[in-house]
Amino acid sequence: MVDMPTIFSITEEVLDMDALLARITLPSTGAAAIFTGLVRGLTERGVPHETYYLEYEAYQPMAEMKMQQIADEMRQKWPSVEGIAIVQRVGHLDPGIPTVVIACTAAHRDTGVFEAARYGIDRLKEIVPIWKKEVGSNGTEWVEGQHIPKSGD
Amino acid sequence: MLRLPQQVVCRCTLNSMMPIKVLLFATLRDRAGGKKSIEVALPAGATVKDLKVQIREDFPALKESMTSVLVAVNREFALDEAPLGETAEVALFPPVSGG
Repeated sequence: MVDMPTIFSITEEVLDMDALLARITLPSTGAAAIFTGLVRGLTERGVPHETYYLEYEAYQPMAEMKMQQIADEMRQKWPSVEGIAIVQRVGHLDPGIPTVVIACTAAHRDTGVFEAARYGIDRLKEIVPIWKKEVGSNGTEWVEGQHIPKSGD
Repeated sequence: MLRLPQQVVCRCTLNSMMPIKVLLFATLRDRAGGKKSIEVALPAGATVKDLKVQIREDFPALKESMTSVLVAVNREFALDEAPLGETAEVALFPPVSGG
C-alpha cells in the first residue's frame, strides 16, 4: 500500500493552499476538496458588528495530537481519501485572511472528499484546543465554543 | 515522647502531597493575571474533580471558570473522575473555538 500523506500543523505562517495541495497529491489523485475559513470582517447574524482582527492561540502539542486523531477518523469513515492536510494558522489575523485549511484528495470526486473535509472542519471546531480572541466594534472578547468533550473525543 | 509520633504523622502528610503544574489558556490565563501556569498541591491519588475544588480555594479569580472549564491530562480530555499523576501534564481551558 502506498503511504498516504497526512499533514497537520499549527503555524504562524501564511497558508499556502497550492503548496499544501501539492503535498497531498498522489499519482492516483484526481480530486481534491479544500475547505478554508477566513476572518469575517462583518458579522450580520446575532448582534451585527465589525471585527477589526482575531488573535488565535493554541495548546500546540495537544492540538497536533487531536488533528492526527481527526485525520484517522476521516480515513476510517472515507477509506478512499488519499491525502489529508489539516492546518490552523495562529497569531494576529486580519479580516479576509485564511485561518484554517482542511484539504482531502482522492482518485475521484464522488467517494467522500467533500464529506471528509466537512467532517474535518466540524471536528476541529469541537476537539482541537485552539481559541480566538475577537477585537472589534463590540470590544475585545474571547470566543468560546459549545462542545463539551465526551468519551472518545 | 508525645511529640515524636505527631512529627511522623506530619511528615507523612507532607510527603503524600504532590505539586501539580497546571497550564492555562485563553480566558483562564487572562483571569489568572496572564500567568501561563499555576501550581496546585494535591494529595496522592487526587482526581480532576479534586483539582477543580482546590483551584476554587487557592485562586478566587478562577473560581467562576471552574463550572465550564475543560481539563486535559497528558494531552487528552479528562473527565472529573480521571486520576492525576505527579508527572501528568495538566491543562485547563474553555471550550475550544478554533477554525
